[in-house]
Amino acid sequence: MESEALYTTIKEILVTQFEVDESAISRDANLYEELEIDSIDAVDLLVQLKELTGKKISPDVFKDVRTIGDVLDALTVL
Amino acid sequence: MKYLNFAYRWVGTTLFWIFFGLIGLFMGFVVFPLLSVFVWDGRKRQVAARKLISAAFSLFVWVACSSRLISIRVTGMEHVDPRGGQLILATHPTLIDVVILISLFPQVDCVIKEAVTKNPVLGISVRLANYISNREPADLLDSCVQRLESGASLLLFPSGTREVNGQPLRFKLGAAEVAVRARASILPVALSCKSQMLAKHVPWYRIPPSAPRFKITVLPPIAVENLTTGDVDQRHARYQVNDALVSLFDAELS
Repeated sequence: MESEALYTTIKEILVTQFEVDESAISRDANLYEELEIDSIDAVDLLVQLKELTGKKISPDVFKDVRTIGDVLDALTVL
Repeated sequence: MKYLNFAYRWVGTTLFWIFFGLIGLFMGFVVFPLLSVFVWDGRKRQVAARKLISAAFSLFVWVACSSRLISIRVTGMEHVDPRGGQLILATHPTLIDVVILISLFPQVDCVIKEAVTKNPVLGISVRLANYISNREPADLLDSCVQRLESGASLLLFPSGTREVNGQPLRFKLGAAEVAVRARASILPVALSCKSQMLAKHVPWYRIPPSAPRFKITVLPPIAVENLTTGDVDQRHARYQVNDALVSLFDAELS
């Protein structure tokens, strides 16, 4: 999946499932501090992205993920 | 006299840690390797390994209490379901909470740091005991739910790490999430320690002016459904359960 399409998907999940305000979402937005999603949401998001892309973020990389951009990087680098 | 007691406990605590270490080495290099040689059935191995760990921890607790290095008061053990299937949630003020709790709940499942499974001394015991490793965040929640659903009791510290003295209680959402998903019966265990030792950021050799007093109160089990408003989705249920648990422990510990 293209990075842009992936970004849209993540945005959609955040808005529809985790009640994040769409205007607050950007690539630099910190998931935990600015978007206020919790660690379980983050795990949930990763599981869904894994199902969509077939790519898995390793636990070590996941620990350092802070922003939406980090998620995209982790999924596109692999 | 007070000075004498302090000196006694300082020497006693040091000797205790040496004893703790030696027993640990003996278990890690003799007892558990023997178990892995002689018992092949996974299920029997797990039960035996947990019995041995619990027995060692009971020994530590007995030695520490009978030499008056610490004291422990336990109430409410009648709330424990001997058949298992309970999600045991405990507060976590000190490093030795788990030693005391495993001595009380011998066959309980628990989550351990991945690093422990690779530790040259401790690794073999926790692998044989088939405890849950925290390596994969996504799998971790699933494993916890599965163990509960298969009828085991699971011990979690909802704080995720030792609580810092004097700060308000804050739980990670993982425990509430497991409770919601497994529709668990929650057994709250309020564990507190007066004249605390082994707190976070406190080295083991810094002992308090009087012997630490542990108080362990096992509260009546609560069905997770009773902590939510019922008509909510899983995400909101998780927050409701978490808030209810924090209030429950706050009320008990204050």
